[in-house]
Amino acid sequence: MKTNIIEQIRASYHGVVNDIKDPKKNAKRSRKAKAFGFSFVRSILLIGLCFVILFPTIQQILMALRAPSDVNNPAVIWIPENWSIMNIKIASIVLDYRHAVFNTFKLSAISMILQIGSTALAGYAFSRLRFKGSNILFLLVILTIVIPPQALSLAQYLYFRDLGLIGKEGSIYLMSGLGMGIRSGIFIYIFRSFFRGLPKELEESAMIDGAGVFRTFWSVMLPNARGALVTVGLFAFVWQWNDAYFVKIFEVSTQDFPLLTMRLINAAENMYAALFYTGGLSLIGQDVWENPVFLALISNVSALLMMLPLLIMYLFVQKQFVESIERTGIVG
Amino acid sequence: MKKLKKPLFPRLSKIKFPEVSYKKQKLIWAAIFLLPWATGILLLFLVPFIESLRYSFFDLTPQAGEIIKEFVGFDNYLYAFNTHVTSTSSFRVELLTTTTDVIINLPVLLIFSLFIAVMLNMKFKGRAIVRAIFFVPVILNSAAVVSAVGGGEAINAILDQQGIARIFDLEFYLLQTGMAPFLITFIVGLIERIYDILALAGVPILLFLASIQSIPKHLYEAAKIEGATSYEMFWLITLPNVTPHIITVTVYALVDTFLTSSVSTIISDELNQQNWGVSSAMAWIYVATILLILIVLGAFAKFLKIGESHYEN
Repeated sequence: MKTNIIEQIRASYHGVVNDIKDPKKNAKRSRKAKAFGFSFVRSILLIGLCFVILFPTIQQILMALRAPSDVNNPAVIWIPENWSIMNIKIASIVLDYRHAVFNTFKLSAISMILQIGSTALAGYAFSRLRFKGSNILFLLVILTIVIPPQALSLAQYLYFRDLGLIGKEGSIYLMSGLGMGIRSGIFIYIFRSFFRGLPKELEESAMIDGAGVFRTFWSVMLPNARGALVTVGLFAFVWQWNDAYFVKIFEVSTQDFPLLTMRLINAAENMYAALFYTGGLSLIGQDVWENPVFLALISNVSALLMMLPLLIMYLFVQKQFVESIERTGIVG
Repeated sequence: MKKLKKPLFPRLSKIKFPEVSYKKQKLIWAAIFLLPWATGILLLFLVPFIESLRYSFFDLTPQAGEIIKEFVGFDNYLYAFNTHVTSTSSFRVELLTTTTDVIINLPVLLIFSLFIAVMLNMKFKGRAIVRAIFFVPVILNSAAVVSAVGGGEAINAILDQQGIARIFDLEFYLLQTGMAPFLITFIVGLIERIYDILALAGVPILLFLASIQSIPKHLYEAAKIEGATSYEMFWLITLPNVTPHIITVTVYALVDTFLTSSVSTIISDELNQQNWGVSSAMAWIYVATILLILIVLGAFAKFLKIGESHYEN
């Protein structure tokens, strides 16, 4: 019995030694170990970065959900002691949330459609309907990307004042419709490279089937450009939503037509006054609003409220957006 | 074959100008397609462009209904450079810091975003979710939000006083390991700014990802059969194929950093205070700076032959 066990141990020991000495198996093992180590490092890195990205938002959400009176409680740092939506209520009063969201949404949606229209047409003309001098004209597009809006907005302001468009949303629509909206140059660039990447056969077969130039564009090329449409649409919408510059210059945000960004900036500059004038102060006790942390808290919650619709929308569009990168090859 | 969809504008798509050739038709349609853009560039870009260049040499005072102009030569430019001050800083200082920041940050940004793009391009579990998360800062990148969250610093200051906010004090740890102080400030600074870098890197990552996607797959297959490691594949296939797009990414990142910098805040502040001449002059200094950087970068790229497709040689 004893010898048997010893022999068995010896055999398995030899087996292990042979296994370790086998170069083929060793190569396989080291490859496996490398692959594992690599994917381990990669996942730690990616998880860490994702955490860094999501952390401020999670923190803001947790802050929004604590009761205002928790401000004076030093024990509350992360998890609220008393859950409440009071902060959100106060912030939405300060922002005039219901109106502001509706207006901002309307402004962003309409200007997105106009931007897509004008830039897709221009991008198509620059890539598929080339003519002598179209490359020189395209240099102008590059110039519009490089020149900052500050260099132009005074003259544009005076223009719009003559047209009576100052203080009206029409000024934004006019800019987007004429392909001069927020970073339209980049959109034209994206559309141009995208349309250029579509095979020439598509156009030729459409032509042979008797489609005119417009028909080719509308029913053959555009449906194939869904990836670019999603990318440009998302950016146009988001940048218009977040825009505080043009909206300020052209005085679009008014008492009757409040916009989120301007309301947020004005409120953040002087939170106490904003709370005072909108009647948000009466909702909470003096011991709370005397604490400067509370004012900072409300300003944070307001920022969260402004981003929230975008985040929710992004949840829905995100899949198409990520896939669109996969399929397009924007740069090609 | 999929049937052609019914056109939305049946009348419009039937216009075919039968007596003109297809080439001519294309030309006509090109003119129609470019019409909105051309109007825009003429009225909303070129004219304001020249106007604002002219304004920068004038002293403008708004009066009821009109604007009084007074020619002052280069005074606005000199003022912007020599005498302009804000409550905390001045135009010259901000311009200098922004320029140096850009020059230091651009390589970091390029390498970082290329690295992330390569990683996001790999196959692993949960890739879709990770990708979606990486573009969240692009969505949330807003001047308004930044100004509102700035108020949050009051909270952080108080939490700091209580000494509980910092669960993990990196600086302290690194000092304990006996690392050189300048390295520690660099690393800590990098980590504190990692969110900003991520926010700035969103679109570059997107562009790099798209350009990696457009590399023909058969190159990688051939390399794999020849026994290349993934490290070699990166240096010999991915990188050379991505370099033509580095210029695009650089231009985007450059313009974007300048647009979100304190320089452009100063310019819009001057604009809002109706110092229109000064604001125009500043805007032109800013444009000149960007163009100068671009020209230097372009010359540099030409010298190193970056940006040219390596297949053509």
